[in-house]
Parts: sequence; structure tokens; C-alpha cells
Amino acid sequence: MKNFLMLLARNRLALGGLVVMGLVVLLALVTPLLPLADPDVTDTANRFKRPFSEGALLGTDHLGRDLLSRLLWGTRLSLAVGFAAAIIAATLGAAIGIIAGYYGGRTDNIIMRGVDMLMAFPYILLALAIVAALGPGLMNALIAVAAVNIPFFARNIRGITVGIAHKEFVDAARLSGMTDARIILTEVLPNVIPVIVIAMSTTIGWMILETAGLSFLGLGSQPPQADLGSMLGEARSALITNPHTSIVPGAMILIIVMAINLLGDGVRDALDPRLKSGALSRPMPATMVQRAGPVPTSEGDTLLALRGLKTQFHVEDRVYKAVGGVDLQVNPGECLGVIGESGSGKSVTALSIMGLVASPPGVITGGAVHYKGEDLIGAPYEKLRSLRGDRIAYIFQDPLATLHPLYTVGDQLIEAVRAHHLFDRKKARAHAIELLTSVRIPNAEQRVDSYPHEMSGGMRQRVGIAMALANDPEVIIADEPTTALDVTVQAQILSLLDDLRRERGLAIIFITHDFGVVAQLCDRVAVMYAGRIVEEGPTKTILDAPAHPYTARLMACVPELGQGRRELAAIPGLPPVVDRLPEGCAFADRCHKAGDTCRQGNIELVRHGAESLVRCVAPETPPQEAC
Amino acid sequence: MTGYILKRLVSAIPVLFGISIIVFVIMAMIPGDPATAILGSYATPDNVEKLNRDLGLDKPMVQRYFIWLGNMLQGDFGRSFSLNRAVLDEVLDRFGATLVLAGTAFVLCSLLGVAAGVVSAARQYGLADKAITFAVLLGISIPSFFLGMMMILIFAVKLRWFPVSGMWPIYGARDLSALISHLTLPALALAVVATGVIARLSRSAMLEVLRQDFIRTARAKGVHERSVVWRHALRAAMVSIIPVLGVQAGFVLSGAVYIEMVFQWPGVGRMLVDAILKRDILLVQGGVVFVAACYVMFNIAVDVAQSLLDPRIKT
Repeated sequence: MKNFLMLLARNRLALGGLVVMGLVVLLALVTPLLPLADPDVTDTANRFKRPFSEGALLGTDHLGRDLLSRLLWGTRLSLAVGFAAAIIAATLGAAIGIIAGYYGGRTDNIIMRGVDMLMAFPYILLALAIVAALGPGLMNALIAVAAVNIPFFARNIRGITVGIAHKEFVDAARLSGMTDARIILTEVLPNVIPVIVIAMSTTIGWMILETAGLSFLGLGSQPPQADLGSMLGEARSALITNPHTSIVPGAMILIIVMAINLLGDGVRDALDPRLKSGALSRPMPATMVQRAGPVPTSEGDTLLALRGLKTQFHVEDRVYKAVGGVDLQVNPGECLGVIGESGSGKSVTALSIMGLVASPPGVITGGAVHYKGEDLIGAPYEKLRSLRGDRIAYIFQDPLATLHPLYTVGDQLIEAVRAHHLFDRKKARAHAIELLTSVRIPNAEQRVDSYPHEMSGGMRQRVGIAMALANDPEVIIADEPTTALDVTVQAQILSLLDDLRRERGLAIIFITHDFGVVAQLCDRVAVMYAGRIVEEGPTKTILDAPAHPYTARLMACVPELGQGRRELAAIPGLPPVVDRLPEGCAFADRCHKAGDTCRQGNIELVRHGAESLVRCVAPETPPQEAC
Repeated sequence: MTGYILKRLVSAIPVLFGISIIVFVIMAMIPGDPATAILGSYATPDNVEKLNRDLGLDKPMVQRYFIWLGNMLQGDFGRSFSLNRAVLDEVLDRFGATLVLAGTAFVLCSLLGVAAGVVSAARQYGLADKAITFAVLLGISIPSFFLGMMMILIFAVKLRWFPVSGMWPIYGARDLSALISHLTLPALALAVVATGVIARLSRSAMLEVLRQDFIRTARAKGVHERSVVWRHALRAAMVSIIPVLGVQAGFVLSGAVYIEMVFQWPGVGRMLVDAILKRDILLVQGGVVFVAACYVMFNIAVDVAQSLLDPRIKT
């Protein structure tokens, strides 16, 4: 509760709403004590006095009645009616909802059918029908507004109650012989009250507005008694000649409803944890870049080279160093594997290349990505866009989530082509069919018009690959493309990628956590841990004789067919949280041979043997001069 | 698709049935004797008895309901005593005017609301987002009838851009331009609240969608950001926006009653208020049933639109 109030207080708009609402309620409460003119005494000699005239701060209305006094009494009445309607609607609605939700079955069915029928009416129309039957009058307007809001409460509360009615503590109460009535009052009700309060806080503004509306139509409060709505209704005939009589009550309704809405939003935000953490923020078209320090310059003519790449996530005041200075490179026809546990930063590294890390919260804070000698980090958006999918393409994991669910795969392929080429639709469609054929999708002519949900997982992944191939790219970055697939499909996809690499001279960066996949496809492999590369070298060298203890332990986790009953070793402990990386080797705490030297300074990635690099002070294997 | 539409139409039958029962029950709650209520307290007992017989009020409830329902199904909604005219004729005449007003307002609030929501989400926390968020808060807090009055004051009286009230000029041609100039202010005033609600929900629906993986895929393909937002994200967000449009259509249709009062628009809402004040029960009954039935039909159209948009819905 205290926490909730603090959150509410932090929201300045909600606080403003609370203050304004508090003032209005206070004024309404003390109105009878204030030295005001009688709101109902007419004085036709002094009609339509302007605001700020003597003896009438807000002027007078068409019968010479004091507007300030009428405003305060009217506010009092409007608030009372609005709150009363809200309480009646909440009480009856909650009662109906709890009964429906608690008893379930036929009771639930009949009640909810009735509620659905009521909700089939346009809202105000139902209120009009009720007032028509009961006759105009403030009490009847109150009943009408409360009645039309009952279904809303009933439906909300029923949903919550259904959840609670099947909880263990309710079952326990039932077994202990408590009556249904007692269970509802002592077990169910306390748990639904917060929901009722939230629902009230979001609807009370509406109810004040609706009762004012009925009064405005002449169906609510009857003269001489006046709430804000009927004041406005009476002032309407003098709108053009004496607008102040309309503006005074109208502005008051606006102020009240706005304050309640601000407060209601604040309550909802404070109770919805998703909004607090800022998780509901939209990623920008390209990852934010805030590079400190010198930018590495390009050397040589590597196709794609990452130099000291650093990517962080800034969440509130925490900094997660997801990628902490990564160097990688890949050349035409080459396949580089990047391997690591989940959370090791391998996907973030891959996404950083084309600025696809969600931002906020992602920020690239250092390093460079050289494509043919040109730095892509910090390149203008249009430059990045023209390369994305054209020269450097991605294949993602889980193609059900990564393909647009509402467009056919053909449309999505055509779009990929037309983002970079001036193909007409017919030519692009023919190309799309060709692409689907090239990834060995049978009946490509028919499949091109399928939606992603109509295809199997393996098919969808092929579509993802076809999309990556659409513009004949030079580099493909495959982010765990086979993780979501079963083993036979996985093997097909891998051999497909391997063929494409050989046929087209593609450079592939293959992100995975699977050593089997690396062995099958990759020329070289880089092992990542806690955002850094701990070992890199030719696949065969590393698989045969891993130099870093982490690589060795990781490989020991992989079961091998035909190796008999070998004990599978899990690595003890968990990877470090990347907002508090330890000094020295990040793996030291889980490493069986960690010593004091492992826990101080920065351990460099050093040459180890002919073609390998390792970041360890005590490698598993001696550096071999010739491999 | 035809099958789906038919299925939805059939499923509307019990809802329409329920609506007629609810209206009938509400009208049966009238305290005292309806004939006395209609004729006033000075009516002679003979007159009261005759009217009761004419209205069929001397028969049992259930029988009365089915007679009423059967007559309605044959297009006989009874006769309005205050207008001395067949209820259905009057309702149909008035409903046309309401449809013009509410339909225009609905188109306005859908287009403006969705556009504002999309822009707001695409520029989250930017200047445009803040401006829109503030405007939306103002829009959903202002009573439409007060807004309408202020619009008359500013745009009709002060600036003289538009006529003060009515649907047609008293003198002069009843052509499209006359209609548009009369329609602009009331349609805007009616659209404002719904625009605010739609903008809010569109914004959060868009923010939800923009975080999805398929948006990243679109960006990775090199699709231009404009197209990412308006084609990829909006199309997916529409799946959750369209039901909101359906609900808001109900608010616009019934909220028209306030605007019709403020702008003297000859619609069904003003007819209902007049009928309530004159205790013309049959006119109220017929008007409410008719408008509610139209709204049920509109919601079926919304469902069909939804199924056209989302291929995952089985039709």
C-alpha cells in the first residue's frame, strides 16, 4: 500500500489530479457552511450579471440567481450523484459477478448471457430507456446510470472471481465445511475488492459525466434543484447572449472529470508493473549509438569485421554490459560460428551489426563494425537501411514470431525484394516463387500465397532463409535459426545453408549454442562468455583440443551418440549478471582451476597456437606451434 | 465468407430477442397506470379504459410481449400519440439524420484516433506524443454537449464559419455543400471523445506491436521505417483496434443524443428525449429497439471486417 502511494506520488500528473479532486470534494463538503447567497432565490432585476460584478463573483443566471452559489451546490449534487451511482453499480455489479464466477456452470451461463444482452445496447440508449420508464428526475437518472454500468462491473469481477474460486484456499474452506455465503464473504470478497476499487476509479468520471448528461437533456434533476448538467442545460438558451452562464458549469464538469481521469490513469499505472519498468517503450529504427573514446579504424580488406564492439542495456540506473568489446571477422565463403550459453551476448552481438538491438534500452557504446572498410556503427539511418537485407541479411530464430502473421509469405518476400529493387509486383512475385524453390519448398507456386500460420516450423524457417536470400546478400547473420526445429528438419536446414554458402560464396555468421551444429557447418568458431570472446580458432582445433576451461566444460555438457555411458557434466553455478561483472576472468567463479591471478586486472585475448586465440591465464592445452 | 456472415447473422437472433425482452421489461416497470400517465390525471375513467384496451394493456404480460413482438416483425411498431404518426415512419425519418451525423463522426474518430495513436506511438515520448497525449486527455474529459456549445460560440457566432444549428438551411438549396457546412461542427463535437479513446488504445496497441519480433524482421529486411510503422505495425495493431472501434460506434450512436439537442439536429436522439418528456411510451420503445437492433447489425459488420483482416480467424 505504501509502495503504491509512493508510485502514485511520483506521477506528477496523477498527483495534480488528486490535489484538484481533493479541493473540489472539500469545497463540495463545506458548501453549506460558506457564506453564499441562496442558490434558488431568483432576482430578475439582476439577471445575467457578468462575472466579477459586485455581489456576484461569477455573475448571475437568467433568473438572477448567484452563479457561484449555484455552482458549488451543483457540484455537490453532481459529485454525490456520481459517487452514489458508482457505489451502487460497483456493489450490484460485484455481487452479480461474484455469484456468476463462484457458482459457475448454469448460473454463470444464464447471468452472463443477460449481461451480454445488456452490453449489446449502445450505452446511453439503455439509460434513456430506463429514464423513459421511471420518468424524469435526478433519482431516476441515478438509477439509470448505475444500471447501465452494472454489466461492466459484473463482467470484470466475474473474471477475477473465476480465478479465485479454483484456488486452494477456497477448496480448503469448502472442505472445512464453511457455507458458500461465508466463503464468498471471507475468502472471495477480500481478494476482489482491489479490482472493484480500480474499476470504480476508472468509471466514476464517466458516471458523473453521464448523470450530468441526463440532467442536461432535462431528464435528470428538475428545477429549482440543479446539478452541473441541468445548469448547463438551462444556460443553453442564453448561450449566445450570455455565454458565462454556460461556461461556468461546463468548465467545472471538465475540471472534475479531467482530475478524476488523471488520478485514474495514475492508479492504473501504479498498479501495472509493465508500465513502471518502461518495458512498454518502442524500439527505435536503429540502435542508439553513444561511443566514447576513439573509434577503431579499418585495417585490411575483410568483408565484415567487428572491432571492440560494446553494446549495453541502460535500464533505469543500471547498466548491463551485454557485449563488452568483441572482435570478429568473416570473409566471403566462410562460415563463422559464435557459440555460448543464453545470455552470453551472442545474439546482441549479431543484432548490433545492423543496429537492430532494441533501443531503448540498448545502446552501442564503443567499437566499430567495418563492412568493406566502412563503419556501420553510427552510419546514417538511410545508409543502414539500404544495406539491411540487401548486402547483409538476417535469419532469426522462431519463424512464427519473426514472420508477420497477417501477410502471406509471398507478400513478405516481395516486400523484401522491393525494399531494394525497382521490381514490379509481377516480376517480384516470380522472384519470390524462385526463392521458395531455391530453399526447396515444394509447390512453391501455391505456397507463395500461404500465411505463416498455415506452414510447419521447418517450412517457415525455409521462408526465413528465402527472405534472407532475396537480394543475394554477401553476408548472412543466422541467429539460432535451427533451435526451434526438430533434429531431422534441423539437419535439412543446415545442409541447405551449407550448399548456399558454397554455391553463392556467402559469408555466414552462425549464432548457436550447439557444438554439433558448429562442427557440421563452421570453418571457425568463437566462444562467448559474459559478453566477451574467450576463445576463437579453427573449428577442428577447438573441438579437438579446447584451450579455455569454459569451452572444455561446455563441450563436456554435450551428450555424444555411441560414446557409451559417459557422465554428463553440468557447469556449476550460473553465468555472472552483466551489470556487475567481476574483475579479471568472468568465468573464474565457476572454474575449477581459478587462482588469484584470474581475479585481477584485464585478461587479454592472446594468440594460442597457430590460428587460435584464448582469454585465459592457464589454458587447458599447451600452445601448439604447428597444428 | 458467405457462410461466416450467415453464421454471425443467425447468432444475432437470440441477441435481438434479448434486446426486445429487456426493452419490454423496462417499459413494463412504468409505475402506475400507463394510460393515466399518457392521458394525464384529468382523464376520464372511460378514456383510460379505452386506451388500455387499444394498447392491449388489459392482457397478461407474456401475451402482450408476443403481440408486440409479432407486430414489430410485421413492421408495425404502433402509433405515436404525440405525433399521431406510425412509430416506424417517424423513427426511419429521424434515423436517417442520426446516421448522417453519427456515421460522419464515426469515420472522423476512427481516422483521427488511429492516426493520432500511430503517430503518438511512433514518436513515443517526443513532442508530438506529448501534445497528442494532452489533447487526448482533454478530449476524453470534456462533456460533448459543453464542447458543442463552445464550438457554436466560437466557430458559428464569433467567426461565422458555420451555421449555428440545424441540418439544412431554412431558405436555400438542400445540397451537399449546405449539408457539409451544417454537419461539420456537430460531427466534430460528437467525434472528440471517441477520438480520444481510440487514440489511447491505438497508441498502446501500436507500442505492443512495435516490440514484436516480426517488426525487427521487417527492419532487418531494410523496409523503410514509414512502412514498418504504417504497414507492418498498424496492420497487426488493427486486430486489437477494430473491436474498440465497434464499441466506440455504440458510444457515438447513442452519444448523438446530446449533440442533436445542442445543434437542433433532427435525429432519433432528440426524438427520444422529446418522447420521454411527453411520455410517448410507444415511440420510445420503438426507437430504442430499432437503434439497438441496428447497432447489433453494425457489430456483425465489425466481426466480418475483423475476419477479413486476420486470416487466422476461422471463417
